[in-house]
Amino acid sequence: MDTFLAALFSGTSRGAIYALVALGLVIVWRGAGVVNFAQMGQAMFSTYIASALIQNGNSYWVGFFVALFAGSILGALLDILIMRPLSNKKKTELLSSESMRAAVPVIASLGILGALQALAGIIWAAEERGFPAPAPQEGFSVASSIMPFTSFDLFVISIVAATLVMTTLFFKRTGVGLAMRATALNQEVARLSGIRTNFTRALSWAISGAASSLAGLLITPTSNLSPNTLDLVLIIGFTAAVVGGLDSPAGAVLGGFILGLVISFVTFYLSPEDVFISILGVLLVVLIVKPRGILGGKDARRV
Amino acid sequence: MAGEPVGLAAKTDNRERVNVVRNRASLSKPSRGLVTSVAAVLAGALAFTAVPAQGATTPGVSDTEIVLGMQLPQTGPASPGYNKVDDAMRAYFDYVNSKGGVYGRKITLVVKDDVYRAGLTVSTASALINKDKVFAMVGSIGTQTHISVIKDINRRGIPDLFVNSGFSGFYTDPKKYPTTFGGLGTYIVEAKILGKYIKENFAKNNVGIVYQTDDFGRNTVEGLATAGVTFTPKKNAATFIAGTQGGGLDAQMQQLKDNNVDVVVVGAVASAFAAAVASANKIGYKPAKWIVISVGADATTFQTILGARGIAPAVSAALLAGTISASHAPSPGEADDEYVKAFKKINDDFNKGPDKRWDNNVLQGMNIAYLTTSALLGAGKDLTRPGIINYVKNNAAKLSSAALAPLGYSDKTHEAYTGFWIGQYDAASVLKPVDSPRKVWTTDSAKGPVTELKYTRPAIAADALPKVG
Amino acid sequence: MRDVSSSLKNPSIIRRSLRRTILFVLFILVLGSTFEPYNQAQLAVVLIYFIAVLSVTILTGISGQISLGQGALMAVGGYSTALLMTNYQLSLWLAVPASIVGAGIAGALLGIAAARLSGPYLAGTTLVIALAIPTIANRFMSVFKGDEGLSVDVGYPPAWFTKAFGEPTYEAWQLYVVLPFAAIALFFASNLLLSRTGRMWRSIRDHETAAALTGVNFSRQKIYAFIVASIFAGLSGALYGLRGLVGPSVYPVALSLTLLTAAVLGGIRSIAGAFIGTVIVVFLPDWIDLVLKNFKLSEQVSNFMPALISSLLLILTVVINPAGVAGARHRKH
Repeated sequence: MDTFLAALFSGTSRGAIYALVALGLVIVWRGAGVVNFAQMGQAMFSTYIASALIQNGNSYWVGFFVALFAGSILGALLDILIMRPLSNKKKTELLSSESMRAAVPVIASLGILGALQALAGIIWAAEERGFPAPAPQEGFSVASSIMPFTSFDLFVISIVAATLVMTTLFFKRTGVGLAMRATALNQEVARLSGIRTNFTRALSWAISGAASSLAGLLITPTSNLSPNTLDLVLIIGFTAAVVGGLDSPAGAVLGGFILGLVISFVTFYLSPEDVFISILGVLLVVLIVKPRGILGGKDARRV
Repeated sequence: MAGEPVGLAAKTDNRERVNVVRNRASLSKPSRGLVTSVAAVLAGALAFTAVPAQGATTPGVSDTEIVLGMQLPQTGPASPGYNKVDDAMRAYFDYVNSKGGVYGRKITLVVKDDVYRAGLTVSTASALINKDKVFAMVGSIGTQTHISVIKDINRRGIPDLFVNSGFSGFYTDPKKYPTTFGGLGTYIVEAKILGKYIKENFAKNNVGIVYQTDDFGRNTVEGLATAGVTFTPKKNAATFIAGTQGGGLDAQMQQLKDNNVDVVVVGAVASAFAAAVASANKIGYKPAKWIVISVGADATTFQTILGARGIAPAVSAALLAGTISASHAPSPGEADDEYVKAFKKINDDFNKGPDKRWDNNVLQGMNIAYLTTSALLGAGKDLTRPGIINYVKNNAAKLSSAALAPLGYSDKTHEAYTGFWIGQYDAASVLKPVDSPRKVWTTDSAKGPVTELKYTRPAIAADALPKVG
Repeated sequence: MRDVSSSLKNPSIIRRSLRRTILFVLFILVLGSTFEPYNQAQLAVVLIYFIAVLSVTILTGISGQISLGQGALMAVGGYSTALLMTNYQLSLWLAVPASIVGAGIAGALLGIAAARLSGPYLAGTTLVIALAIPTIANRFMSVFKGDEGLSVDVGYPPAWFTKAFGEPTYEAWQLYVVLPFAAIALFFASNLLLSRTGRMWRSIRDHETAAALTGVNFSRQKIYAFIVASIFAGLSGALYGLRGLVGPSVYPVALSLTLLTAAVLGGIRSIAGAFIGTVIVVFLPDWIDLVLKNFKLSEQVSNFMPALISSLLLILTVVINPAGVAGARHRKH
């Protein structure tokens, strides 16, 4: 029973992180029509900024909010400087196939990821450093045994839940959110109906940047901070988004928790070497049954 | 391209002709274009990277310079910690150069980053051998990456000195790899010695292990088994994939806790040891004893990582205190050791790297550089590749260094230090020997017994330079 | 295969491809003989990557399926060859061709799984495949030897070769081993692109639903494209492993991303593009090194500068000219 609980808690707390990463990816996807591989690079970079501030004597919360702010600015800058020129290119018929439309921004975001990692290395060097958590990392005591669930884990899960609620409301209920969805769907039409597409797209990137900074700040306390720390998290987060459905914030969160639990249970009950193959298995099973993810939209095609 | 045979097109039916025309229209540039662009690009490559032909003497040795090569992961996930070793080595070589070099020749260390990808290591080795024309490779870091190049290096007769890996497969068959010599004790030797200590002191405890599934971890398990300390997988043996400790080792610690393990051996790198302790702390698991292999025992890394997580230095020091480890050299915290003192000073004065904080990596780097200088001096003014290989092989006993055991080179093996002492971290996070006076143990990488080693380490010279003879 | 048979009906395609291939081989031979060893080895790497990038050209450029996992297929080819050579003492000339069968099978499986996916869903799946396949080496260590990997190399030239051409440098021999495979790959790729099958795949890429309406069974064609691309990738992976080691760190996720990068930089729709992109990706670090040598940089900066410059160049290229170097000159394709 002990092992089961441990696996459950561990899976939930890691799952919350993946959910956050997946959410950030979904926000950019819904708001800008792009899969942003640089997201964890942004997260890593903002976390380094926070770390630098904290090591210089500022309080954790100062570092925290500066990082969020820096993350959103960075996101918006990336959109304005790189993604906007990319999407404004005349619709060359290179981009006539869905795969190329997906591929080109992926390459661009890979370039951004590489640049951010290299910059972090140049500025802060490649050594591993720790990062503090705002809440103690010791398990709660229940009765006489210690639960493998810390107040920090609770903090993470509540943040994720709050972010999910805010994101869903934002996309569904607010005018700006609606504008973002329209922009992602068809930029020309959105612009014609009066939506300031450049602004809404930059806004999606900014919000996603903040979300990814949040993810970075929440992950690094339990691991170490170095330029490559978050590489694996990105891949798993992306998988979570795909499993849950790139179109759906709730799907992202669902996918995150599913993957977190799968990884946890496989590690606890099978062996760590089976983890990546299990992730692949889950992914294939889901996509064979629902090619657009569990909560993704119907597979609609236009001729 | 005008060369399309008209006759053929005329013979085929209309549909095919249309196809041919459409094909040509939808082709990428015809072959002429392909060749032109290829030619242009490759000519450019040739112009930029062509290297002038070299003379016929020993590569890497001139009247004024000796060029040495080294490969390691300087960037990428495997780099933290290791990327300090080359800076430390260069610091020592700069010191040697400031004192006139070796027989008037300055030592130049060329370092290449292979990001711990064996595919890139082959390319960087090729660059070191063919472009930089190094005399010898020294202190290369990374086991899997070195496997990809060791055969070629040996085939070319290039000395592969003081390799920074404890993988015994490099050293135990000198006929296979005659030019390769170790710079670290092997993991198996260390594990056997630790195993003997465990058997003697923890026979009544439930001993478990957490290890990473690469050569560090597996050789540790193997060595322990030879010493009679065995484990049952999935019960008191927990594994993790090297590099994934960032996600925490909760599952592994929970497994050990569930199986009532009260002495935990850690066969992993320093950041993983820190992760294991943090995870155990989190789930309320308090083993009576931690035992960590030398590669994973670095007090500075431990404290930095835990400290930056908000664990107060006092708390992390308390977590580390009592941990058992082993080493072949003095621990970096032994401020009174003459080698530590001398190396520390040189590090302060000459290390130009981004992070020169004194720790195990820096100590090891300096030691390798010291050994290299010693070998270069011993090989004589007439420096050749076979010359230095022979000198190193036959004069292992004369090649002193900070290590508390002699080099074990012979015709039968090219293992480096086959001697380790057992230590325990004290409250000030310094690794202190468990026996007083310090006892050093020795064994082989096979099934031989563990015996005590009587070795007096030669004193370091006042100018911290090795002396020949 | 269908493309070969359709092009056999059209000998001009074969002739054209043959001409290209022969010119290519001559060109490489001339270059190889003038290069000194380091660049000979780099040229061999170019040829090896070229074959893998061709798999991206075929899969993504021509049939429109994005894959971030070609590195995994390279791993399949590499491990097949290494196992055949180590366990059965086959020479590389037998092992390499045999191992593309394994790669083709893997490609078929992958293609079947991927047939219903597109865009980011396909990208995500192939990315996880790139991550998961090398871990099999650690999962089944007794067979695949885990991290230690399998040491294989190109060996030495046979006696008749040395007698006829003199003793080549080791790097030159690597080049001569890889060249015939690269030439064959080029020949088949050229055939494929010129053939009716190539046209069919392009139509699927551009107008999948419309193509379905004309009766093209696009699912099956997409799987064929995967199989062909996997054969190319597997061949490349086998040759890549023969440089010294077949192991998990030889085929990391970054490798798959590098292949896609090379394809996009050079021009994802053409063979010339594949070659140009490969040359850039292989030689860029050397060029950057040459430039940076003139500046006195601290180590912290110089370690990361090449990566920074490559990434910035990638971003610039994609933003300014996503069709790549070779693509800028194409007409409607």
